[in-house]
Amino acid sequence: MAAVASPDYHEIDRQVMRTLQWPGWRYWVWVGALFLIVVWGALCWANQIYRGLGVTGLRQPNMWAAYITNFVFWVGIAHSGTLISAILYLFRSRWRTAVYRLAETMTGFAVLTAGLFPLIHLGRVWFFYWLLPYPNQRWLQPDFRSPLVWDAFAVSTYLTVSLLFLFMGLIPDVATARDESTGIRRTIYNMVALGWQGSEQQWRHFSGVYLLLAGLATPLVISVHSVVSWDFAMAQLPGWHSTIFAPYFVAGAIFSGCAMVLTLLIPLRKLLELEELITPWHIDNLARIVLFTSLIVSYSYVVESFMTWYSHDPFEMVTFQQRYFGPYGYLFWIMVVCNCLIPLALFSPRVRRNLTLLWVISIFVNVGMWLERFVIIAGSLATNFMPSQWGFWTPSLTEVSITAASFAWFLMLFSLFTRFLPIVSMTELKEGLRWLRQALRQESAEAA
Amino acid sequence: MSDPVRLIGVFAGEEECVAAIESLRRAGYPKPRVFFPIPSEKIFAALRLPKSPVRVWVLIGGITGALSGFALTIGTSMTWPHIAGGKPIISLTPYIIIAFELMILFGALAGIAGFLITGGLPRLESLTGYSGRFSDDRFGVLITCAPEQSTRVELLLKDAGAEEVQRETA
Repeated sequence: MAAVASPDYHEIDRQVMRTLQWPGWRYWVWVGALFLIVVWGALCWANQIYRGLGVTGLRQPNMWAAYITNFVFWVGIAHSGTLISAILYLFRSRWRTAVYRLAETMTGFAVLTAGLFPLIHLGRVWFFYWLLPYPNQRWLQPDFRSPLVWDAFAVSTYLTVSLLFLFMGLIPDVATARDESTGIRRTIYNMVALGWQGSEQQWRHFSGVYLLLAGLATPLVISVHSVVSWDFAMAQLPGWHSTIFAPYFVAGAIFSGCAMVLTLLIPLRKLLELEELITPWHIDNLARIVLFTSLIVSYSYVVESFMTWYSHDPFEMVTFQQRYFGPYGYLFWIMVVCNCLIPLALFSPRVRRNLTLLWVISIFVNVGMWLERFVIIAGSLATNFMPSQWGFWTPSLTEVSITAASFAWFLMLFSLFTRFLPIVSMTELKEGLRWLRQALRQESAEAA
Repeated sequence: MSDPVRLIGVFAGEEECVAAIESLRRAGYPKPRVFFPIPSEKIFAALRLPKSPVRVWVLIGGITGALSGFALTIGTSMTWPHIAGGKPIISLTPYIIIAFELMILFGALAGIAGFLITGGLPRLESLTGYSGRFSDDRFGVLITCAPEQSTRVELLLKDAGAEEVQRETA
C-alpha cells in the first residue's frame, strides 16, 4: 500500500484525477483489439441480415438459444449496478461509495449490450418496431397481455433510468474534473457537468432528486428481471412455466452482476492504482453479496427441482430428467459447480481477501450464470411436449462471434469510460471519508 | 452611497462553514451563498433550507406516467376489442405492469427536469464567488454587505474559522 494512509478530500481528488490522464499505448492496443472483435461481430451480423437466420444454429424447436441467453445474461449483469448504487444507497451502506460508480457504469453498458440482442435475434431487423405496440400502421392488435411487450417497456425504462442515475451521480465529479483541467477538456467537462458549481441550491435539489431516483430505481430493478423471467414463466413450456422464476431470476441477476463487478474491479483497481480508495474491505463486502446470492440461487435450483418432483407432471419430470442427464446435462453440472459449489469458498475470510482467487471465482460465476440462462432457455425448448419434436441446438460461427463481440463491445465501452470520466465517485468517497479511513486503518493493523 | 462589498470566506471543513452561517444568521445578515464539495445536511439545516420541490415534480411525473400507462393499455384494448385466451378485454393485472414501468419512467424524467429547472442548470456562466477550490476540498461562504459592515462580517467569518476572507466590490 502506498504512503498515504489517511487520505483527505484533496488526496481523493488527486488519485481519481490521475486515472483521467491521457492513456498510454497499451491501453489503445487493448481498446483496438476489442474494437476489432466488435467489427468482426458486426460483419457476422451483417452477413446474418443479408443471408437470413439460416446462418445461425436456430432450428425448430430451438428458436431461442445463444442470442436470448445473451440478452438475459446481460440484463442480469446490469442488476448489481442498481443494487449497489440505488438499493445500498437507500440503506446508507458505507462500503458502496468506492465501487458504486463502476457498478453503475457496468449497468449502463450491460443494458445497452442486452438491448442489442432482441434486435440481433430478428430475421428482419428493419422491422424492429414491430416489437412495440405503436406505431401500428399494419392495424394489428397490440396485445398488452404479452410478456414481450412488458419486456420492451421494462428494459427501455431501465436503460433510461440507469443512464439518468449514472449521469446524475457524475455531475459533481465531472465539475471537479473540470476545475482541475484546462483547454478543451475543461470546456467538455463543463458541458457534461452542466456548469455545476456546488451552490447550496444546486446541492439541495441534487440531494432531493438523487434520493428519489434511488427510490424509483429500487422497485424498477426488481420489476425488470421479474418481467424478463416472465418472458419464460408465462409460457406453458415445461421448464419455463414456474411461479418461482421472478425471485429466482432477480437473485441470479444480482449474483452474476456482483461477480462481474469483481471481475472488472480487481484488475482495474491495480491498473489505475486505486488501491487506497478501493480497499480489500470494499471487495470483501462485495464477495459477501456474491456468497449470499449464490446460496439463494442454489436454494432456487433445489426448490425448482422439488416443485417438479412434487407436481408429478410427466412433461416437467422428463424435462428435468433431460436437464440433468440429457445431452446438455454436462452444462447443468458445470453450472452447479460454478454457481453453487465454488462460491462456498467465500465463507472463508482468507479467500475473500485473496484477490487473485476471488477474481478466478468471479470468472467461474460468470461462466456458471451464462450456462444457467442457457440451460433454462435452450434446454427447455430442446425437450418440449412431443419427443418427436426434440432437437438440440449447436452453435454456429455467427452466434459464437456475435456472443464474443458482445463481451468485447461491453469491455470496450467500459474501458473508454474508465479513462475519460471518473470511475470512482469523488463526491461520495469524500462524504464517507470517515469509513474509508477506518478501512485503511484496519488494513494497516491487519497487515502489521 | 458607495458600492456594496462581497466577502468570500474560505473554510477547511464543514463544521467551520456551519459555524460561519450560524454566526451570520445570529448577527442578522441575510442568507449567504454557500459552495461546498459534498452534499451536507448540516449546511442545509444551518441555512434553514426547505425540502427541495423536486419531490412534487417526481410525484406529478409518476402519477402522469401511471395514468398514461392505464390510458394507453385500456384505450388500445377498447380500440381492438379482441378476446385472447378467454381473458377480459380490459385485463387490468397485466396493464399494471405497463402502468408501473411508465410511472417510474415519467417520475424519473420529471425529477431530472425539476432538478435542472429549479437548480438553474445548465449554466454557462460562473456563479459569483465560485472558485475551483470549492469542488475540491474547501467550503466557501459568500456574503454581500454594505462597506461599513464589511469589517464586522470579516471578523465573524474569521472567528468561525475562515482560512482567508476575500474582498471584492460588488
